[in-house]
Amino acid sequence: MSVRPSISEQVSKRPLRLYVVIVAFYGLLLAWWIYFFASLDDRLAERMRLAGAPLGESQRQALEKAGEETMRMLMFEGGFLGLLVLVSVFFVMRSVERETTLARRQRNFVSAVTHELRSPLASARLYLDSILMGRTDEAKTGRYLKHAREDLDRLGDMVEDILLTRRMSDRKVEVETQVVDLAQQTESEMERLRTLHATHGITLELKTSGPTFAALDLIAFSQILDNLVSNAVKYGGESGPVELAVESASGRSVLTVRDHGPGLGGADPKMLVEPFVRGGDEQVRTSPGVGLGLYIVREFVQAHGGKLSLEDELSGGGTRVSVSFPAVSQQMRDGMGSEASA
Amino acid sequence: MTGERLMVVEDEAHLAEVIADNLKLEGWAVDVIANGEQALNAIRDCPPDLVLLDVMLPGMDGFTVCETLRAEQCHVPILFLTAKSGRDDRVHGLQLGGDDYLGKPFDLEELILRVRAILRRGEWYRAPSSAGNALVLGEVSIDFSTFMVTRTDDSVELSQKETMILRCLAEQAGAVVSRAEIVKHVWGYDAFPTLRTIDNFIVRLRRLIEPDPRNPRYIHTVRGTGYRLTP
Repeated sequence: MSVRPSISEQVSKRPLRLYVVIVAFYGLLLAWWIYFFASLDDRLAERMRLAGAPLGESQRQALEKAGEETMRMLMFEGGFLGLLVLVSVFFVMRSVERETTLARRQRNFVSAVTHELRSPLASARLYLDSILMGRTDEAKTGRYLKHAREDLDRLGDMVEDILLTRRMSDRKVEVETQVVDLAQQTESEMERLRTLHATHGITLELKTSGPTFAALDLIAFSQILDNLVSNAVKYGGESGPVELAVESASGRSVLTVRDHGPGLGGADPKMLVEPFVRGGDEQVRTSPGVGLGLYIVREFVQAHGGKLSLEDELSGGGTRVSVSFPAVSQQMRDGMGSEASA
Repeated sequence: MTGERLMVVEDEAHLAEVIADNLKLEGWAVDVIANGEQALNAIRDCPPDLVLLDVMLPGMDGFTVCETLRAEQCHVPILFLTAKSGRDDRVHGLQLGGDDYLGKPFDLEELILRVRAILRRGEWYRAPSSAGNALVLGEVSIDFSTFMVTRTDDSVELSQKETMILRCLAEQAGAVVSRAEIVKHVWGYDAFPTLRTIDNFIVRLRRLIEPDPRNPRYIHTVRGTGYRLTP
C-alpha cells in the first residue's frame, strides 16, 4: 500500500495560501480605489485654488454631484465584484474542506485496511508455516488449519466488502425485492446470527409486534442485518444484550438494533455512515473493521427507498441504529412472496 | 537459550496464539496481553526479557507504550510486530527506542531468529564487559550497569543505546570500530535504517563526555570508516 494521503493535504495548502494573498490584495486595491475617488473632488478643488482659479459655488456643487455619481457607480461595481470574490472564497473553502475530509478518510482507509488485511494474512501464514515446519502434533494441526481457514474467511469478507463498496460508488445499487414480513424474516435470521456470535458470549434478543410488511431484497437484507448486529456486538456486546426490535411506525416498517456500549462518543452520525470512517483513533484500535459496514447498510437501505439513522440511546446508554422501509400497500401484501419493485 | 520470559502484546487472538505457541516451542516462557495499557502496567511491574509489541492496540498504541517505557528509563528490549511496516513507521518505531521492527505478515523462522538475536544482544549486554563495568575518561566516569555518567559537578543518565555504543567502543579501545559493527552490536543486522544515525548518537555522547565536543579528545571520527575510543 503506497498511498500517502498526507501529501494531498500538503499540496492543497500551498495554492490556498496564494489564494488568500490574492484576495487580500484585491481587498486593499478596492479600498484604495474608493479612497482615491472619494477624495478626487477635494484634490481637484485644492489644485484649482493653488493654480489661482478657485472654483465657484455652482462649479463646486456640480463637481460634488459628479463625484457622488462616480462613488455610486464604484460602490455598485466594487460591491458586485466583492460579492463575487466572497462567493468564490466560499466555494474554495468548501472544496478545500472536502479535500481534507477525503484525505483524512483515505488515511483512515489505509490505516484500517493495512491492519485488517495484514493481520489475518499474518496469522494464516504463521499457522501454515508451523504445520509445514513440523512444529505441530495432530490435534494442533487440526486447530491451526481451522483457525487459518477462519483467517482466510475474514480476509475474504473484507475483500468482498471493499469490492462491494467500489461497485456501490461506481453505479446505483439495484435490489430485487419481494414483499415479506420483516418480523418473520428477522426471526428466521436470528438462529444464524446467534451461532455466528456465540463465541463472543453475546445475547441477542428480538422483540416483534405482529407482522410488519416491507419489500425487501433478501440477500441485501441479510447483509444489512449482519452488519448492524456485528457493529452492535463489536461496540457494545460486552456491556449487555444486543436488542433487536421490529415494529410499524408512522407508516414505515422499522428494524432497530440497540447495544449497551459507550454510544457514539460525540462522533458525527452523518460521518460514521461514510465509507472508511470509524469512530475514534485508528492507532488505538478498540475493534476490528475498516469502516464499511454502515456505509454498505446505508446504500442498501436507500436502494430500498428506506432510511438509516444512528443515535445515542438516552436511557441506559448505548447506540440505537434504525433502518426504516416504506410501508407496503394492501395490494402488494396480497401478492406477498412474488416479485415487486422497490 | 532457555528460561527467558517473553511478552507478546497483540490484540488479534489468532496471531497471539500462534506466535506464543511457537515461542514456547523454543523453550521460552510467554505471556500474552491484548491491551496496550495493561501491557505497560505489566512491564512496569515485572519487566520480561523481551516484549513483542503490536502498534495498533486497544487501550494505548504500541508506539506510546514504548515511548512511555523509555521515558521511565525502562530498557526492556522491544521488538515491534506490526502491519504498519512502511519506512517512516519503521524509523519512527526505532527512534522511539524499539530494538527491532518486523512487518506483518512475517516469516516464522525470521521471527524466531530475530527474537534470538535480541536476546543474545541482551546477554552480551548483561555479561561483564571485557572493558570492565566502568570507564573513566579524564574527569568523567561512565558506569555501564547504571547508565550513569558522572562528571565533576553533576551526573547524567545515558540511554541504553548510548551506553551500548560506548561500551562497544570501549571494548575495542584504541582500535577503529566501523559504523556497521556498532549497528550489528547495538541494534542487530538490518534493523537500523541508516548508518548516519549512529553519528547523531556520537554527537550526543561527545557533548556529555568530551571537555570540548568540537575538538574531541576521547571519541575520534575515523573518516569514512567509523570511530575510535582513546582512553
